Amino acid sequence: MSISRSQVEDFLYMEARLLDSQMFEQWMDLFSDDAVYWVPAGRDDIDPSRHVSIIHDDKESMAKRVKRLRSGFAFAQDPASRVHRLISNVRILSEDQASGALEVTCMMLLVELARKRQTVHTAFCEFSFDTRKDPWSIRRKKVNLLRNGEVLESTPFLI
Amino acid sequence: MIPNIDELIQNDLIHRSVYTDPKIFDLEMEYIFNKCWVYVGHVAEIPEPGDYKTTFIGRNPVILSRLSDGEITLLINRCRHRGPIVCQHEYGNSKHFRCPYHSWTYDNSGKLVGVPMPQGYGSTFDRDRLGLAKVARVAQYQGFVFGCMTEDGPSLEEYLGGITRFLDAYAAVSASGKIELFEGVQKCGYNGNWKYQLENGVDPYHVGALHLSAVTPEAMKIYRQGVGCVIAMDGHGVTDHTDWGPMPADAGLSGGFNLVIFPNLIVLRSQIRTVRPIAVDRTEIYTNVVRLSGVPEEVNIKRMRDQELEFGAAGTFFTDDLEIFERTQEGLQSGAVEWLVFARGLDREEVKGGYMTGAMSDETQHRGMYQNWKRHMMAAASSLMAAE
Ligand code: FES
Ligand SMILES: [Fe+2]
Repeated sequence: MSISRSQVEDFLYMEARLLDSQMFEQWMDLFSDDAVYWVPAGRDDIDPSRHVSIIHDDKESMAKRVKRLRSGFAFAQDPASRVHRLISNVRILSEDQASGALEVTCMMLLVELARKRQTVHTAFCEFSFDTRKDPWSIRRKKVNLLRNGEVLESTPFLI
Repeated sequence: MIPNIDELIQNDLIHRSVYTDPKIFDLEMEYIFNKCWVYVGHVAEIPEPGDYKTTFIGRNPVILSRLSDGEITLLINRCRHRGPIVCQHEYGNSKHFRCPYHSWTYDNSGKLVGVPMPQGYGSTFDRDRLGLAKVARVAQYQGFVFGCMTEDGPSLEEYLGGITRFLDAYAAVSASGKIELFEGVQKCGYNGNWKYQLENGVDPYHVGALHLSAVTPEAMKIYRQGVGCVIAMDGHGVTDHTDWGPMPADAGLSGGFNLVIFPNLIVLRSQIRTVRPIAVDRTEIYTNVVRLSGVPEEVNIKRMRDQELEFGAAGTFFTDDLEIFERTQEGLQSGAVEWLVFARGLDREEVKGGYMTGAMSDETQHRGMYQNWKRHMMAAASSLMAAE
């Protein structure tokens, strides 16, 4: 039976909620060992082997970010940003039942409150899932920020 | 009222108004950014004929272009008719810049080549005198291009002084001897004065403290042991860690050097950072990432991935730097305490190789940069005094 949009939405809401609640370890567990977590710089369609990104992490780098946030010395997150993520415009692009590959896109509205300042980001997000096991794993998360070519404020939280 | 520049910079003390007074910022734009050699870009950003980059020298919007003969030119990005910028893109390739307002058209050497309905101007209209204004001087060293808004003053090489040796060593890490760049720029902003980033670019003292969450235990040990030195070099700042190791190809924290070239260029590890002052309490940082020739592709990719993890707007190091710059701007609003303390190493620094040199965690390099700042700003004070 094919995957419904509401199943995908449930997963994306859960992922967003883990980040909003700072459950970083559980969030990281959603990703496969070969996962890529990518926030391009400049524009959405860059080649990350030739062009610099804002974030281009493998799982090891993601773990370093989380370890830093938990270290007690991440001064830029003391106090931690409060973040609300709103997910919408969810679309299933393709599903391959044999391999479990599922390609999804959505829009994210992210509002961060830190040091009395509210910062709004919007992004077009692309996800590749492996749906063979429950829960699914994320093989690729790409966050195309609307402002990826602009000067950004410090972004010490996970996008 | 003219701020009393002379008193704001003591040898080991700096007055808070240097970072908070908008009048000081206005004077800096005029007497530092309009007088010094200011970094505008690297030739690797405009490799082909017709390539251009737009940027700023202080408050002057400028266009850095490569002409068809390969020469580099630096023009003021401002239509000679009634003032709009003529180029709104950051990078591009064009032989012409056309102002859309009334279609005055300039070639990329600045010459005014097209004016619609020219008969409306009288016989005194001289289009040869209405080309885009040229920045008074442009020069490059190891491909780093600088512009200077005044005709007189030292040549670029005189201005860089001892720094040229370090730029040579930086370029030599690439097998071709030439600096190459990854595409793209990382851009970050903070609500604080531009000079915090200059101080911080050559500040080994903070690495083991502010970056406790990000620095590896091995690097932390070296920083605590204080291998290397800091140098006040011809008005610029250097931290020289080559005792620890040469500039490493993988751009890791294991030797090499950091350079702060007054007033707006920082070269360290794999990064070329341009500091752009926007207001007394607003600064933008533009970072290009250097790729090497003659190394395996994985080494270059690792340079870029490490830079992204650690620096840039989401970097594990840089977010804490940006945070402290904003907290400093907040703290300095208080007039209850007037002075910042730059006294580390005062009684152990000594002249070595012709330059005042301190231990690795000292503030000798900062004192040198602020004496340079003071020299330029004193010129402001005396010409304002003469005008009053
Ligand atoms: S203002 Fe540029 S052509 Fe008139
Ligand atoms: Fe730092």
